[in-house]
Amino acid sequence: MGKYITLTDKSTGKVYTLEFNRRAIEAMERQGFVITEIDTKPATMVPMLFRGAFMMHHPTVRRDVIDALYDEISNKTALIEKLTDMYSEPLLTLISDSEEDEGNVEWGASF
Amino acid sequence: MGSELLTEEEAAPPKIIYTDKFYEVFPFYLSIGMTYEQFWLEDANLAKYYREAFEMQRERANHDAWLQGAYFYDALCAVAPILHAFAKKGTKPQPYLDKPYPMKRENVKQEKKKPADNGALRGAAMFHAFAVQFNKKFFVSVNERHPADEGGDVNNGGND
Repeated sequence: MGKYITLTDKSTGKVYTLEFNRRAIEAMERQGFVITEIDTKPATMVPMLFRGAFMMHHPTVRRDVIDALYDEISNKTALIEKLTDMYSEPLLTLISDSEEDEGNVEWGASF
Repeated sequence: MGSELLTEEEAAPPKIIYTDKFYEVFPFYLSIGMTYEQFWLEDANLAKYYREAFEMQRERANHDAWLQGAYFYDALCAVAPILHAFAKKGTKPQPYLDKPYPMKRENVKQEKKKPADNGALRGAAMFHAFAVQFNKKFFVSVNERHPADEGGDVNNGGND
């Protein structure tokens, strides 16, 4: 199984598994979602990203239920980071490791 | 030409449409055995494993082709003597390998441990028989020349 997030609704006890498959990404992009616009249009893109994460395992959950869940979530920034990471996975799995050649520039990070 | 400063307009990130990429590579994954459902609906990581399996299949096919070439080479070498234009009459082809090449490491070790060849064994046995016969004849002729020694006395070289 790929990367996924489990979400537990304490009021109902229902557990949701958030994950992206390629069909969900296609549907989201058809609806206007663009991952690169998540910083410039967060008000539109972030809820769309959250709703899209339900498509794979919970396609029948109503939009108002999802929006209510989103409103109840704490630490949204971390969740969005994880969702963005998960969103890229279906694309990254199509890129062969050998395609990532070493190149001439090295880089490092302080964190 | 590539050395200008980035303006705000140029700095805007390009729209990356993942779906285009998915459709671009979809036929390849279908060709290596992935189903429509597996590609679009199931775990995204499946694609990676299908690709790895495909690489393994290719390597195996490559190895099989190489092995077939090696057998073919052996067969050609075996019949080469009779293919020679000026081969002498009665020239016979060498026998083909009596068994396939050992594939597993244990089989290779076993092959090395086995006595070299049945022919070699037969040769050794014949030589032994010849040596026994020769010794027998030798002792008979010696006894004929020195009948006094028939008692089995050991020739001590005249040191008595």
